[in-house]
Amino acid sequence: MQEKLLEVEDLTVSFGRGKFRVVDGVSFTLGREKLGIVGESGSGKSMTGKAVLRLLPGGATLEAKRLQHQEVDLLTADERQMRDIRGRRISMILQDPKYSLNPVVRVGEQIAEACRLHQHVSGQEAAERAVEMLAAVQIREPKRVFDLYPHEISGGMGQRVMIAMMLVTEPSILIADEPTSALDVTVRYEILQLLDGLVSRSNLGVVFISHDLNLVRRFCDRVIIMYAGRIVEALAADRLEDAEHPYTRGLLAAVPRIHAPRRRLQVLTRDPLWMEAPGVRAP
Amino acid sequence: MISLNNLVVEFGAGAGAVRAVDGVSLEVASGEVYGLVGESGCGKSTVLRVLAGLNASYRGEVRLGGQALPQKRDKTFHKQVQMVFQDPYGSLHPRQSVNTQLMEPILIHQLDNAHTRITGALESVGLSQDFRFRYPHELSGGQRQRIAIARVLVLEPEVLLLDEPTSALDVSVQAEVLNLLADLREARGLTYLLVSHDLGVVAHMCERLAVMERGRIVEEMSRDRLVQADVQHPYTKRLLEASDALGEGRAVVEAGR
Repeated sequence: MQEKLLEVEDLTVSFGRGKFRVVDGVSFTLGREKLGIVGESGSGKSMTGKAVLRLLPGGATLEAKRLQHQEVDLLTADERQMRDIRGRRISMILQDPKYSLNPVVRVGEQIAEACRLHQHVSGQEAAERAVEMLAAVQIREPKRVFDLYPHEISGGMGQRVMIAMMLVTEPSILIADEPTSALDVTVRYEILQLLDGLVSRSNLGVVFISHDLNLVRRFCDRVIIMYAGRIVEALAADRLEDAEHPYTRGLLAAVPRIHAPRRRLQVLTRDPLWMEAPGVRAP
Repeated sequence: MISLNNLVVEFGAGAGAVRAVDGVSLEVASGEVYGLVGESGCGKSTVLRVLAGLNASYRGEVRLGGQALPQKRDKTFHKQVQMVFQDPYGSLHPRQSVNTQLMEPILIHQLDNAHTRITGALESVGLSQDFRFRYPHELSGGQRQRIAIARVLVLEPEVLLLDEPTSALDVSVQAEVLNLLADLREARGLTYLLVSHDLGVVAHMCERLAVMERGRIVEEMSRDRLVQADVQHPYTKRLLEASDALGEGRAVVEAGR
């Protein structure tokens, strides 16, 4: 059995004193692997990612039997411990770099700041590491880009900066919430290849949250499919063709194909039973 | 039905001017579905906005049904050509009921039989009459896009300009809306000009397509050529390769993994 980086058991996120369960009894573990969480809007996939870092919006209640990151119990950790974990041991990349970068701080500074705060190195050393990191995310002139502001760089470059910022602290888990959904397809491909290379080199655990089943199956080792706050199916990425749950099959069939066009797209018929059936425990 | 001849659109003036559309020419036959594909900033939406009359400062010739159109379009044009936008959260008025919003084109064009038109439009997008008195926040993304389409259908146009009509929707909802658009075209003999960044959507919907890069059409082709991956231009190849690598992929790509 490989090392467990994250153990989630019976995670529930609810609003209105348990009335509305947006995440409903989700269980999974993460090793040094790439785990995909797929679902449509409102399926609870992003909330699951945020719950791990206890970054839920006000009014949300988090409950779980277990939420463990190595030796740290994330359920009982106080805010100070959580601050040490967020960004240093567990990093998060969000969808749109336009909103997640500080618009009035040079991008290099922002990477150096992450490094300075979490690794307690001098300003100069942090700046040097930031430049190295910019080079690692394949930015051609890292010294020049260091001094640019977020509005001066493209979306793809912004996402490279985000990745650099999240990996400079050498975390053991990376949570990527739709990291490429705001990007054009050719840029998306480049960023995913880059992320794939960096992740396998530094051997960390990745939770990759996306609505795009095809993309996730190409990028991840395992895939969890969420519907209405529950895990309806969990399987190896290369065995997605053998998916049994009608929701997973419906999602796969609804995607228009470039090289195999059909006269009509298959439409998903939602069975109310899906919302009642107990969630699947992902190994 | 639609013909563009050497369309040029520039934003800004003098040395800082940006040529967003740089000599685009295309022909769309009556009843055809024509796709315009490209990545952000390639000018595809600008072409569509010029056609719709939302951008009057352009050079070149725009023809509809053989007739050259003036820069400033008149009402008859807008009755014939209507546009559906990407984001139904932005294109519907948040404080007006569906009924009020479906009424608006009828009032503008001073049409009669308002009631029949509205009920008919709702019916053709597959929504019940109950929806007339709902507000946008009470609707799902897919229902909103259906309402946006219904609002366009009220005028019984001949041409629909579709600007990324499903990219804000989940795949299962996208399938419903694309099927609806296909059915409407068949039933009413509509002509579509569809702008999308998604090659899958374009391959599904369009008979012909043009690939745009930096304001120019770099390649025009039939659906069959796209399906068989018989593309010539390096940019089209790159686009297709990335789409394949992240999408369902071709047999070749599959084997390579």
